[in-house]
Amino acid sequence: MDIRVLHPSDIPHVQQTNITNLPENYFCKYYLYHALSWPQLSYVAVDVSRPKKTPYDAPKIVGYVLAKMEEDPADGVQHGHITSLSVMRTHRRLGLAEKLMRQSQRAMFETYGAVYVSLHVRVSNVAARSLYEDTLGFKNNGTEEKYYADGEDAFSMRKELDYLREEALDDESDEEGGTIGQDEGAEVGSAGKAGDGADGEKKKERKRKVKVGRGLGVGELVERNESAPQTNGTS
Amino acid sequence: MATNQQLPSKEQTLFRHVVQSYESKQYKKGIKSADQILKKHPNHGETQAMKALIMSSQNKSEEAFELCKVALKNAMKSQVCWHVYGLLYRGQRNYEEALKAYRFALRLDPDSSQIQRDLAMLQVQMRDYAGYVQTRRTILQARPSSRQNWTALAIGLQLSGDLEGAEDVLHRFEETLREPPNRKDIEHAEAVLYQNTIIAERGDYERALEHVNSVLKAALDKTAVMEMQAEYLLKLDRKEDAVKAYTKLLKRNAERRDYYDGLEKASSLDRSKSEDHEKLGQLYHGWAEQSQRSDAPRRIPLDFKSGGAFREHADKYLRRMFKKGVPSTFANMKQLYADQAKKETICELVESYLSDGGAEKHESETNGPTNGSNPSKNSKMDPATTWQLSVNYFLAQHYDYHLSRNLSKARKYIDRAIELNPSKTDYTYHMTRARIHKHAGNVVEASKAMNEAREMDLKDRYINTKCAKYQLRNHQNTDAVNTMGLFTRKEAVGGPLGDLVDMQCVWFITEDGESYLRQNDLALALKRFKTVYDIFVAWEEDQFDFHSFSLRKGMIRTYVDMIRWEDRLREHPFFTRAALSAIRIYCLLFDRPALVEGGAKPNGSSAENAAEKKKAAKKAKKDAEKAEAEKKLALAKKANPKAADEEETAKKEDKDPMGLELLKSTGEKPLEEAMKYLTPLLELSPNNIEGQIAGFEVFIRRRKYLPALKCLLATRRLAPDHPQAHYQSLRFRRALEEDKTPLDPHVSAVIQENFISQIADPEKSLETLNEEFLFAHWHSARHVQAGVRLLELLHPELEPAKGKATNHLQQTVGEKGTTIEDAVEGLRVLRELEGSREGRVEYLRIARERWPEASVLRDL
Repeated sequence: MDIRVLHPSDIPHVQQTNITNLPENYFCKYYLYHALSWPQLSYVAVDVSRPKKTPYDAPKIVGYVLAKMEEDPADGVQHGHITSLSVMRTHRRLGLAEKLMRQSQRAMFETYGAVYVSLHVRVSNVAARSLYEDTLGFKNNGTEEKYYADGEDAFSMRKELDYLREEALDDESDEEGGTIGQDEGAEVGSAGKAGDGADGEKKKERKRKVKVGRGLGVGELVERNESAPQTNGTS
Repeated sequence: MATNQQLPSKEQTLFRHVVQSYESKQYKKGIKSADQILKKHPNHGETQAMKALIMSSQNKSEEAFELCKVALKNAMKSQVCWHVYGLLYRGQRNYEEALKAYRFALRLDPDSSQIQRDLAMLQVQMRDYAGYVQTRRTILQARPSSRQNWTALAIGLQLSGDLEGAEDVLHRFEETLREPPNRKDIEHAEAVLYQNTIIAERGDYERALEHVNSVLKAALDKTAVMEMQAEYLLKLDRKEDAVKAYTKLLKRNAERRDYYDGLEKASSLDRSKSEDHEKLGQLYHGWAEQSQRSDAPRRIPLDFKSGGAFREHADKYLRRMFKKGVPSTFANMKQLYADQAKKETICELVESYLSDGGAEKHESETNGPTNGSNPSKNSKMDPATTWQLSVNYFLAQHYDYHLSRNLSKARKYIDRAIELNPSKTDYTYHMTRARIHKHAGNVVEASKAMNEAREMDLKDRYINTKCAKYQLRNHQNTDAVNTMGLFTRKEAVGGPLGDLVDMQCVWFITEDGESYLRQNDLALALKRFKTVYDIFVAWEEDQFDFHSFSLRKGMIRTYVDMIRWEDRLREHPFFTRAALSAIRIYCLLFDRPALVEGGAKPNGSSAENAAEKKKAAKKAKKDAEKAEAEKKLALAKKANPKAADEEETAKKEDKDPMGLELLKSTGEKPLEEAMKYLTPLLELSPNNIEGQIAGFEVFIRRRKYLPALKCLLATRRLAPDHPQAHYQSLRFRRALEEDKTPLDPHVSAVIQENFISQIADPEKSLETLNEEFLFAHWHSARHVQAGVRLLELLHPELEPAKGKATNHLQQTVGEKGTTIEDAVEGLRVLRELEGSREGRVEYLRIARERWPEASVLRDL
């Protein structure tokens, strides 16, 4: 497995991984919006052990985290947000979800000075909640009622990123130290479960994006046209 | 937008409202205001143009065009009208016409920065970099204070290959800054790194390194600068520093393969040298010691170690994984199977684990596995069970894998794993059981088994997805759509399929198309492949808004990345796969135009055809009913007062759900249509042999001998022994011999030089060459199939040839190396021969004897 930042060329397979695993799906353009707005924040896990079939095989994405910065934070505090996270069922128990999240969180902190990272998770998704709370140290910040299109509630979770400040001060010390001995929290493996992962956008908003994605882009008479890429999907 | 001089002041105000409404997407309001003006001034061109623009935003593009043309007649000299005209064309992706209209508009209003920006976007979208650079220069001259304008020019120069110019522009902007930007200014930080990539692209790593070192501390994108630094150090052969740089990177991310590669190189270690192996082993051992959690430093040594060292390391690695119960272990190992010795070692080791507790040896790191969707309720498995389950599961996958296949063993192990599995929701092992059925050619049982796996965990979309795929493999298209529908948006127009198309679910659409193709439903198959084609068009179009967006955001490196990816978008295997099938269909339609008309199925005897037709008619009726129901649903939606919904629905309603219109309209010019798929294939994936083979098929039908020859030569270069290399060579010669129209002397000369004197072997007859070929490749099913197709080509009317061909094909079934897929292909050839029914029955009898479970060996 290879864990690295997401490139635009990864998007078709990221999109496929997403729609294979999760009920919240997005257009290519929405992934592009993330990759072109906050290119440091989204990561992929690539299966590098697949025998090649043609000279043009695209990297096989078995897990990804799609992340962003909140553009107009209601609380005025700079923070990141996990739009979507999933790992293929076949690649459970390698700790991929956790590794992806840790890379993304550090980038939020380093590049954008994020104070915390937030996400939403279905209240019924025990596996994902366990990953966030037990393995990654997220705190449940309350319920958002009927957050999902199908009427399910979401827990709004967040994690403070000040631990990264300490790590940064400790510059040369072993940054992985904190993860050793945390081997117990391996529920990460089940992160490929349906509905697992933070999903991000409500359906209502996604529908708006349908229009933009397909819209013919005739709105360019105005320079400050806030077309698709700037649509901020998350509430 | 310029206001209009001719209108009285009240209407001028209204006109401004129209513009504002458009900008704020209040389309209904905008139309209302426009109509108010037009009531008094029915021929006011600019109002008409603005109304047209709003209409196009409401997806009424035909009416919009009509109105805009009227507007132009009324106001030939208005830049607004021309600008709108350009925008309408651009909306239809007719970039050439849009460009012309913009240029007209600019002639009327040369200083309009708005039109210039739109022109620039169009130019970069069209990859007219020279034009883009020119336009951006004009914009920059008008507004040199904005960083965006400098950056845009630099991008244009970089993409057009003028790296020096690009760097110079960025440098000149920096000089205009009076005071250094804020440290936290992300736009500036990013611009600096962008500048650095240009220096590096120029190949000046010394200066790139110096530059990156100067910004290292302040950089916001830490990972990127550290990677840049490490890369340059390595390129400059400053190995000691490079080792340090990669070491730092690995401490941040111990799963990044590139870092290990860099570290190896910086350490002057070479995997291909066995004397380096010990040091390499130590290097990775060191990193493995650093963290219990990292996989890469443990897994990588298996790639270079061999013999006893490999065995020892593999033993340790596998034990560790099995103890943890990591289900992806086989997926992680199978790449090693290309090496026969490693494959055998792995098999021996894992089989020995069956009688080995294993678990006791590494007690300390035991880490109870989880299963099912609910880990909190999950009783932890005892270590012995975890071990046995992992080992049996691995062996099942091992014996299912094509390089080590023994399906009865695979079945034995997977049954054991299923017995051991304590979870009622963990479907992993059931899923593999389905896969084994599939590899036995039994798509019926495979589909059933996968559905059983699905039922174990109904909330899991992954297994749901797998189940749908297996249903498609088993011709259960409706079931598959319904299965997928369990997780698609309920409100989606067009049902589950509509949602999947909307969400660009390429894999499903492609599989569905392939499934229809296997069932000889060319119309639906074609429709699916066209949908994939359209998704790629959308993906290409998606970049458009980012031409302006990225300039505002300032994330230039990733924008350039995107541009380069979009340039090669259709290199993606998703495109290739759909394109190859579409091309195959179009060639078939060219050969048998009757297929377009009746929608008749290729290759089936008349009796079978009658039954098929009846079935098809029934299906068509059902589908029509379904479409009608969907339409009603859509209408019901329309009743919904929400305007957005209305537009949405109108746009999405599928007027040709069965693909019959598509088949008819494109089937009239099949080779032209095929070219749409073929051109990107040959341009972007020239080393994909399937693409070259398909290319020959299209060009030979079009009598384009040189392009056909080019494909043929490419095929022969990529795989000289490929059956198609022979088949197409002979076909090429025959086509030349049969074509009585004299060839252009240049064409003739090229063919003489590259084909006749090199490949054709004109001394021998085609029959002789084919006989020799068949003789030489008697044991290879695919080669015999190619030879048989030639037999048919050379003697289409002769019954004895058909008999001979049939015998040849029957003989291939018994050959050791023949796979089920080969046999299925043989059946297809046999059908296309249209020989005796007995011949086909006998072929199937032999094949079923060999693969008794293979339901794929069925006669359509």
